[in-house]
Amino acid sequence: MLLFLFRRIGLMLVTALCLTIIVFALTNMPAKLETLAKTQAGSRMTDAEVDRWLERNGYASPMLVRYGEWLGVLPGWVRTEDNGTVTGRCVALRGTAEAAGERCGILQGDWGFSTRFRAGVAEVLTARLGATGLLMLWVLAVMVPMALIVGILAGMREGSRTDRALSTFAIASTATPEYVSGVLLIALLASSTVGLSPLLVSWGWIDGPVLFQGNARSALDDITFSNFTLPVLTIALYGMGYVARITRASMTEVMTQQYIRTARLKGVSFGKIVVRHALRNALIAPFTVIMLQIPWLLNGVVISEVLFSYPGFGWTLYEAAINNDIELLLASSVVAVVVVLVTQLISDVGYVYLNPRIRIS
Amino acid sequence: MKDVIQDTGARVHPAAEVYARDYRAGKLSRREFLTRATALGIAAPAAYGLIGMAAPSAAQAQTPTMGGTLKMQMAIKAQRDPRTWDWSELANACRGWLEYLVDYQRDGTLLPVLLEGWEASDDAKTYTLRVRPGVKWNNGDDFTAADVAHNFERWCDASVEGNSMATRMGSLVENNAVREGGIEIVDDLTVRINLTQPDIALMVSIADYPAAVVHPSFTGDDPVANPIGTGPYLPISYEPGIGAVVERNADHTWWNEGNGAYLDRIEFIDLGNDPAAWVASAESGEIDLNYQAQGDIIDIFDAIGMPRTEAVTAATIAVRFNQDNEPYNNKDVRKALQLAVSNAIVLELGYNDLGTVAENHHVCPIHPEYAELPPLTVDGAAARAAIEAAGLGDYEFELISIDEPWQAETCDAVAAQIRDAGINIKRTILPGATFWNDWTKYPFSATEWNMRPLGVQILNLAYRTGVPWNEAAFSNEEFDTLLDQANGIADADARREVMHRLEEIMQEEGVLIQPYWRSIFRNARPNVHGAEMHPTFVVDYVKYWLS
Repeated sequence: MLLFLFRRIGLMLVTALCLTIIVFALTNMPAKLETLAKTQAGSRMTDAEVDRWLERNGYASPMLVRYGEWLGVLPGWVRTEDNGTVTGRCVALRGTAEAAGERCGILQGDWGFSTRFRAGVAEVLTARLGATGLLMLWVLAVMVPMALIVGILAGMREGSRTDRALSTFAIASTATPEYVSGVLLIALLASSTVGLSPLLVSWGWIDGPVLFQGNARSALDDITFSNFTLPVLTIALYGMGYVARITRASMTEVMTQQYIRTARLKGVSFGKIVVRHALRNALIAPFTVIMLQIPWLLNGVVISEVLFSYPGFGWTLYEAAINNDIELLLASSVVAVVVVLVTQLISDVGYVYLNPRIRIS
Repeated sequence: MKDVIQDTGARVHPAAEVYARDYRAGKLSRREFLTRATALGIAAPAAYGLIGMAAPSAAQAQTPTMGGTLKMQMAIKAQRDPRTWDWSELANACRGWLEYLVDYQRDGTLLPVLLEGWEASDDAKTYTLRVRPGVKWNNGDDFTAADVAHNFERWCDASVEGNSMATRMGSLVENNAVREGGIEIVDDLTVRINLTQPDIALMVSIADYPAAVVHPSFTGDDPVANPIGTGPYLPISYEPGIGAVVERNADHTWWNEGNGAYLDRIEFIDLGNDPAAWVASAESGEIDLNYQAQGDIIDIFDAIGMPRTEAVTAATIAVRFNQDNEPYNNKDVRKALQLAVSNAIVLELGYNDLGTVAENHHVCPIHPEYAELPPLTVDGAAARAAIEAAGLGDYEFELISIDEPWQAETCDAVAAQIRDAGINIKRTILPGATFWNDWTKYPFSATEWNMRPLGVQILNLAYRTGVPWNEAAFSNEEFDTLLDQANGIADADARREVMHRLEEIMQEEGVLIQPYWRSIFRNARPNVHGAEMHPTFVVDYVKYWLS
């Protein structure tokens, strides 16, 4: 078990290293650095000014050296201006001139500086991950029970009318990507001119102009039913269909097992069979899928957070990518790797407890 | 100085009298007259007086009410040194505490702010700036002539990367700094600017958004972290990409107390580039006004109870050829492509007819020195023939644009007409993040240009040989000589003679397809006042109020 954990963590480190090298190489291509200089110091700068800016801000050294600086295996760049002031990577990060020439990369716990948000990467990411954590929490709270209920109801009696109806719903929801369902939900529920809201207003059922808010920015300060429903629903619907389908498949399989038939022949009621005998066995497969769904949801989070302008991790990733915010992107990829591998680890370990036939060795 | 003293205490510039005559003769519009007269140092009421009109007074409008919180959609970008600002939004967020020497008003006049007034010499080489007495910085210091001189020195420092004020200071800059003797502190409240070249645009240049006046202690690149200014507000928070909050500064006595600073609090909310998100926010009451609406979005905002306000501008899109690139180094090719495109159709298809048709020379009818040329002709068959004659019958042209909808649609309309004429052309749309890397070098692409109050300003910036923003790589000796000449003529009528030829050269050389002048729009709730769209995107929230 311990060995298994060590192997997993080792794998995580190697993956993170490979991924960050790729991200670093892509974001440090000359054209990308030029973009960075122009977004930082003036979009209509001349080439000479761009070169001078890159030189002055430590982007002129070779790429591998700078990757080493970011990792913390090489000392950060230092530069002495004509007037004697010392600038450098560590001077900027630590805020003192004494730090010049030290190592200050992620190995030392310095995550770097976000050029897009003009703040420390660690600070930006903690705040944004917190926001996404809340969103994910609500998504899971809506998605998991809904998916399990739909899957179990559909799988109880394969081929029945309930099964067909629920399966159609599940397939439709999982076949609709977030950027479609999100827009549909906004048009249907959050517009004062089309969809349901004008109808409800004319009947006097709601006070405001719209049923739900089509923009979740205010959820940053205060989460309400009105501003958080649509983003949560958009992400939850997409994941829900998939998990429901897996649950249904697993349920129908369990329901054809010999021991279920025996129980029925013994005269146990159908409800009891489902709850007592079928459920636990039927939940093994969905559990893994739900855990694997979490990193997958991070994809959806990018789209829905941008669509509803909710500043979470996905929104940050998007902003960092379009603004070529190198250190923020690198840190985001590390976070993504950790999320993926940790959820996989939980699913592997949890699987063992749910299914005694499997053992980790 | 000179003889004519008016009862307001200000000398009337001789050229202003000429403008007033022109206005009465119907040669000038009211707006043009006001821009020109106030640029010469005539106060707006006096300028209105010259043409026998009363200046619009505040009494005509409703009396503003104090208090309230205004929520506005606007992009919040990472701050930097004001003189290097490249987006109006950066300036707008800071307008509550960083003020300007003069303001460019919606009606085209220049309003003295931290200056009390100014006079230009007849040759437009010497400017006398009179500093407003009694202005205090919010740290308690007095605002003096030395502060004005300090800011001019900052603007002239061309060694700072991206300092766009340096290009606006003209002959005041020498060896990346102020020319010796260029700025003279006459006394505590008077500064004299001595230029070697006449510059009629100096006053409008210092009304431009990067010319925010900062305290002598300001260094570095963050006017929010160190908000020493003369204005009545202070920043509370500023998060790029998310939003900013500004509140009235209770500990500071503002020099203009009573004529502004009505709102208690202004919240800027950055909702990204997707207008659908702005609409969704407006629907649920999270914003009271947007920064700028374009295309169909204007109508949608109208429909949800936020009527539009319009500003007619000299802002435009330049679909220009870069003459350093094949085949655009051939004048016949450039002229043929121009010939295939009807600017009126581009305006209709690319910009919903929300503007006026332009004439491929980048001088706007609202510019004081605009000269009218014969209308352009459109002839697809002749265009095709000229392209074939140049041996490019099978050549595929490529027109590049940024991914912003109105710009992409405008270029689509240009390309479609070229295609209709039987010339091969393909369209390429680049995302904003990569587009600006090479904007001056693309062979054939479109660039958005904001307005400048004077016609010569834009020609100086964009078409003079070798200037950094000359994206057309246009170089013409006659043009440069005439432009120098025009820069020294304070009288717009005399300047128009020269401008006539400059416009002709622009057309003869086929420098660019410049299809239209944009009107720009902002939507706001009916209870928001003073927030009408401004031709240069100014958000002077000090003057906004809520009823």
